[in-house]
Amino acid sequence: MFELMLLPFAACLILTGIHAYLGIHVIEREVIFVDLALAQIAALGAIIAFLFGMELHSTAAYVFSIAFTFVGATIFALTRLKERKVSQEAIIGIVYAVSAACSILVLDRAPSEAEHIKYMLVGNILFVKWPEIIKMAVLYGVIGLFHFIYRRKFLLISLNSEEAQKEKIPIKWWDFLFYATFGVVVTSSVEIAGVLLVFSYLIVPAVCAMLLSDKLKTRLLLGWALGSLTSLIGLYLSATLDFPTGAAIVCAFGLLVLGVAILQRLAVR
Amino acid sequence: MKNKLSLALMMGYLLPGLVLATDKLEVVTATSDLADFVKAVGGDKVKVVSLSNGSQDPHFIEPRPSMVMQVKKADVLVRIGMDLDLWVQSLIEASRNSKVMYGGPGYLDASRKIEKLEVPTGKIDASMGDIHLYGNPHYWLDPENAKPILGSIVKKLCEMLPSESEYFNKNYEEYLRILDSAIAKWEEEMKPYAGAKIVTYHNSWPYFTKRFRLEIIGCVEPKPGIPPTPSHIVSLVKKIKEEKVKVIIMEPYFNLKVTEKIAKDSGAKVVVLPPSVGGIQGANTYLHLFEYNIGKLAESLQD
Repeated sequence: MFELMLLPFAACLILTGIHAYLGIHVIEREVIFVDLALAQIAALGAIIAFLFGMELHSTAAYVFSIAFTFVGATIFALTRLKERKVSQEAIIGIVYAVSAACSILVLDRAPSEAEHIKYMLVGNILFVKWPEIIKMAVLYGVIGLFHFIYRRKFLLISLNSEEAQKEKIPIKWWDFLFYATFGVVVTSSVEIAGVLLVFSYLIVPAVCAMLLSDKLKTRLLLGWALGSLTSLIGLYLSATLDFPTGAAIVCAFGLLVLGVAILQRLAVR
Repeated sequence: MKNKLSLALMMGYLLPGLVLATDKLEVVTATSDLADFVKAVGGDKVKVVSLSNGSQDPHFIEPRPSMVMQVKKADVLVRIGMDLDLWVQSLIEASRNSKVMYGGPGYLDASRKIEKLEVPTGKIDASMGDIHLYGNPHYWLDPENAKPILGSIVKKLCEMLPSESEYFNKNYEEYLRILDSAIAKWEEEMKPYAGAKIVTYHNSWPYFTKRFRLEIIGCVEPKPGIPPTPSHIVSLVKKIKEEKVKVIIMEPYFNLKVTEKIAKDSGAKVVVLPPSVGGIQGANTYLHLFEYNIGKLAESLQD
């Protein structure tokens, strides 16, 4: 059993590494559901690629879904308005719903069994393999490095866009870069771990860390530590109680939030 | 732990596919129907576990760690194949049990000897994808098809545990006799309704209807896995009225609401039939399953 859980745990650590960081951006920007929207657009891309005769999980289909993700990134970069009449979360919701509905329409015209396509687009963390883990580690390493090199710009546009404007940083361009790299990460993660789990990795460690600390560095370290620990607990529960693995980890994250919220309440008193 | 592990690994290398004569064969199956067949042939010389139960849609099974462990220790794995149980593939890969991998000594695709329906003919172009190439995968719903399935199973069990060949073959022959008389009885029961037109929810009953000479004039799903569109519902209701269809067959795990609406608008009746062993209480064997389904269907076609 231990052997079986080793690969999923390695994958969980990598997911924690990048998502806990991106989660801080996403929460600061108040675009919580942007990952669902981008993942849905990427799935739409993959389905359309399939309709054109490309095989699922082939390089051609991947390029297609990444291209769609970039279209999504452009939309989100352009819709961040200076004076907000509507929250960007509304735009994200619309993009999500419309692209999900589009994939239903496209699948309706697909010549073969829709149920299999849907099944094949979403990964299961229990079945992750070494080559996927290595690919993920390299890809996220490169993106992480890119974010590290330009950390000042990325952080400024997320945390303090007014200041960024004063410094004459081309915000739309950097927004696009943020959403594009973010989209690549989310798309690859969903293919391995499924939508629910990726969403949890993005939001929960970051939320807990932000509840417990105000400093970026502490937040990052806390996010990583809590994310890794919770992954371990979730995997343990899945192994011992025989629960579906992804769902077990998500519920462990739920318990984590509860615990941290109680802890924070007590600390405030 | 480590010693045990390396010992197990060594055993795996030294004795690929061989089972000690005193041991029971460990068999895992994708569905409960296959498990029932293995039980019938293997008797007390096999230990069989089904990875899904009859109340679940066999297209979508949520994998759990224990399933991987079951596949890991299996000597034989029997699956439906024809891309119905794609999730089994992931389980086999995760288990890294070379015995039951495709091409391994313990791997059995039960569809191998089946005469398949709805296999696309003519030129297959790339836009069709590689999904439906093998035809309709719900072949166990024709009781005559149980024979080639049982044939493949008995052959595989004999290969894996040659010392019990005689026992397996005896069980097999005996089951075939019971099955034959049961099929004759079911055909007799369905005889009055030969040629009756029916509608099904999912396209999972063509093998069944071919055997019992019913005619499927349409499905509630316009395409497998796609919920019905308004125009599809309207045209289906019209067709049901025109062709005087009496029943709509549906599996327990599909959307009853839509089907009931169609039934209400058209005057037909929804009959929920489990497609697999254990899909309803009392249908604990393959024979009981058909007993139940034939009885229920004949009753609904009668009035």
